[in-house]
Amino acid sequence: MTKIAFTINGKQVSSDVEGRTLLVDLIRDELKLTGTHVGCDTSQCGCCTIQLDGDMVKSCAMLAAQADGANIVTIEGLADGDKLHAVQQAFTECHGLQCGFCTPGMIMASVGILKANPNPSDEEIVKGLEGNLCRCTGYVNIIKSVKRAAELMKV
Amino acid sequence: MRLIQGHGRYASDWNMAGQLFAAVLRSPHAAARIVRIDTAAALNAPGVRAVLTHADAEQAGFKSIVGGVALKDRNGQPMKKPHYPVLAKDQVAYVGQAVAFVVAESATAAQDATELIEVEYEEQPAVVEFADAVAPGAPRVHQDIEGNVAYVHEHGDAAAVEAAFARAHRTTRLKVDSQRLVCNPMEPRACLAAFDAATGRYTLHAPSQGLIGARTHIEQITGLPAKDVDLIVEDVGGSFGIRGTPYPEYFMAMLAARTLGKPVKWVGSRSDTFLSDYHGRALALCGEVALDETGRFLAFRWTDEINLGAYAGPFGAFIGTQNVSITSHGVYAVPAVYVRSTLAYTNTTPISAYRGAGRPDIAYAIERLVDQAAFEHGFDPLELRRRNFITPAQMPFKTATGPTYDSGDFPAVMEHALKASDWAGFPARRKESEARGRLRGIGLASYLEAAGAGTFNKDQTAARVGDDGRITIFCMAGGSGQGHETTFVGVFADELGVEQGVIEYRASDLAAADLIGNGTGGSRTAAGQGSAFKALARALIEKARPLASALLGGEADYADGRFSAGGKSVGLIDLARKMARGADGRHPLDCEAEASSPATFPNGCHVAEVEIDPDTGVTDIIRYTSIDDLGNVLQPMLVEGQVHGGVAQGWGQVFGEHAVYDRESGQFLTASFMDYAMPRADWLKGTFTRESHPVPTATNLMGAKGVGESGCSGSLPALMNALMSAVRPLGVKDLQMPVTPVVMWRTLNQTARKAA
Ligand code: FES
Ligand code: FES
Repeated sequence: MTKIAFTINGKQVSSDVEGRTLLVDLIRDELKLTGTHVGCDTSQCGCCTIQLDGDMVKSCAMLAAQADGANIVTIEGLADGDKLHAVQQAFTECHGLQCGFCTPGMIMASVGILKANPNPSDEEIVKGLEGNLCRCTGYVNIIKSVKRAAELMKV
Repeated sequence: MRLIQGHGRYASDWNMAGQLFAAVLRSPHAAARIVRIDTAAALNAPGVRAVLTHADAEQAGFKSIVGGVALKDRNGQPMKKPHYPVLAKDQVAYVGQAVAFVVAESATAAQDATELIEVEYEEQPAVVEFADAVAPGAPRVHQDIEGNVAYVHEHGDAAAVEAAFARAHRTTRLKVDSQRLVCNPMEPRACLAAFDAATGRYTLHAPSQGLIGARTHIEQITGLPAKDVDLIVEDVGGSFGIRGTPYPEYFMAMLAARTLGKPVKWVGSRSDTFLSDYHGRALALCGEVALDETGRFLAFRWTDEINLGAYAGPFGAFIGTQNVSITSHGVYAVPAVYVRSTLAYTNTTPISAYRGAGRPDIAYAIERLVDQAAFEHGFDPLELRRRNFITPAQMPFKTATGPTYDSGDFPAVMEHALKASDWAGFPARRKESEARGRLRGIGLASYLEAAGAGTFNKDQTAARVGDDGRITIFCMAGGSGQGHETTFVGVFADELGVEQGVIEYRASDLAAADLIGNGTGGSRTAAGQGSAFKALARALIEKARPLASALLGGEADYADGRFSAGGKSVGLIDLARKMARGADGRHPLDCEAEASSPATFPNGCHVAEVEIDPDTGVTDIIRYTSIDDLGNVLQPMLVEGQVHGGVAQGWGQVFGEHAVYDRESGQFLTASFMDYAMPRADWLKGTFTRESHPVPTATNLMGAKGVGESGCSGSLPALMNALMSAVRPLGVKDLQMPVTPVVMWRTLNQTARKAA
């Protein structure tokens, strides 16, 4: 067991973790932030994407112990109180989700894309979503949502 | 709103105080006798509370997993269905079959303990392919089923077809594979079960498509009366057909929860999904068409090979029988049709319904056959279709062997698609591609589906009125991304003429209203439940009318959410607020309604245009056009999303997805996202045009035809016909799915070598 402390969605937390505990399990099982999903066991689906120290990472591909001292934002912490983040707003407007299971990861990945590049082309969006799988939408409206979010973030 | 903020509640998001965790031991062999299972070491491992095997399931009285309806062939022989135990008994018949269920204080303890269970297996030879299973002397998947054939399905008039072929001017024959797929909803299966000893009731959270069906299965398999099981489903992360019925883990979790007196949670991994969710497709269709000298179709003959997997899955037998038969005429006026399907057991994961369940497969086979016939006999593929379409003047059209199509304008839908895709401009675009060293192809498919025939012949809905006048509406269809919430509230509010804000929708809340109705499936929800909500609104108005009349002092008329009589008026919601509840707690406007909706026939025409790089074998989709007649469309944006999703799944099957088993050992070779090619965001390089061409049906109140599978049914043939159009000029005779870049590259090279 290692004691770790980090910030998640603006809150300070600390926890005793086993060496083999994955960050995603800590977030879901211990902190009960179940918006971050687990869709695979090979780090391929992106359902578990979170923001860690400003970068988008797959939380299933990290050990909890590696998060010591980090600043984490999950889907639950993206909105500013009642005000949705532009990407969340855009996914709602453009019907960028169906079953919603991939959605938290898609939204976090999209936030990352737009952070690095506020004006992405279709190709750049597609490239940025390479690590995220969706079985429902055919991605068409997800790509539309990212473009819409880019517009929303400009105003 | 909830879902974009991370507040959804999927099966694995539920927790209960004091819960224990489960893990499953699965068979590593495709075929083996179980000689002995020793659980002692696992039981002694730290934190382990129980290790359950077949003996426990049998002691609890669990029966065979239900294998669909009782089918009888034309000789009166019933389908042969082996006993499908919840946990394997004396044999395992596929890799991944559940053998033992471990419950421990933590998920890792349970997982670790599965490795301590000693199972002595005696390996047997396995068969995984249809051809191998039905070959003379093949090993038997089940000892008592000789030849591994479960059932031979026949549909239509064999003699009439025979006669048509005898007098035909020309014939064409084409066999196509619809390869085995893993459905892969993004949510892996999971469940949480609890037992309340005081009331004798179970609570079960699990991803399920429809509650009545799931509870009926639970009752049939476990013997527990459905009324004692509270199945609570809030959000489901995709289902596509395979999550309609419960899986072994759910029964075992319920049993363990009762024996141990604690809630038991099981969270499956993606590997569990690959190995143990029912698989889809796994059939081959061999089509023959007989034509007269003018190109009119005289007959279709279908010979189908259905690989059922090791057992009869819940909907496994529907696919190769009812579902490939019902639309075996496609959009064509064919005077004679005969279908013969052979269903065989193999040592693979059982199949069940996946997105269309046989209907996209037959649509694919028909449209490839028509293109092939055009090519072989020198017809223009469009002209050949025009000559054979059922025309609007012929509607309603009674097909030779099957259903009556109520409505549709197939010629106009195709013309619409030709225009929207600029079919006429293709030769110029092909030239332009050739100049860049690329192969360009265009392909079209006119598909027809059958939707909306549920297990229950009607759908029931209920309205409960709150003291504040707000109305909550209920039905039985479980949502998993189809946007029911929005659709049903919209239908109901529109019919009442009130604002949507005063209506709330709750799916499948059995405690509040005991309803029957179909789960979400066969893309029937819009027509069926939608009609039932429309009927509910009408019932509510009629219930309120006498009360309004009394209040207003005259026979009240209703329009736009208000009753009026003699110059006075009252809003429906205000009226509801004024009414006092009865002694039984019911609000005077609480009401129920139902609607029965027969099968509908969504149809459409899809056009795909592709470009192939002959140096790499990589295919790009340059443009995709889908023109669909889905009848009246309730929520255009939701329907569009369903079509996008269906087309992407079709793309997946055409270009990459394939559940592959080793032919010798029966090992499952593509059991993770690393080996199984899912469609990613880059599948579509060009533009996607989707337009509606509605020809409303009169057979349900909504005029809707349903949408769920049309994307798959249109895209498989349109994409494959486009690929064939690109490579036929080079002498390529056939392509089979999946056409991965390697397959394409090899095909092109082999053809070139032969030509040289
Ligand atoms: S859970 Fe699939 S990538 Fe993390
Ligand atoms: S919305 Fe269902 S997986 Fe993406």
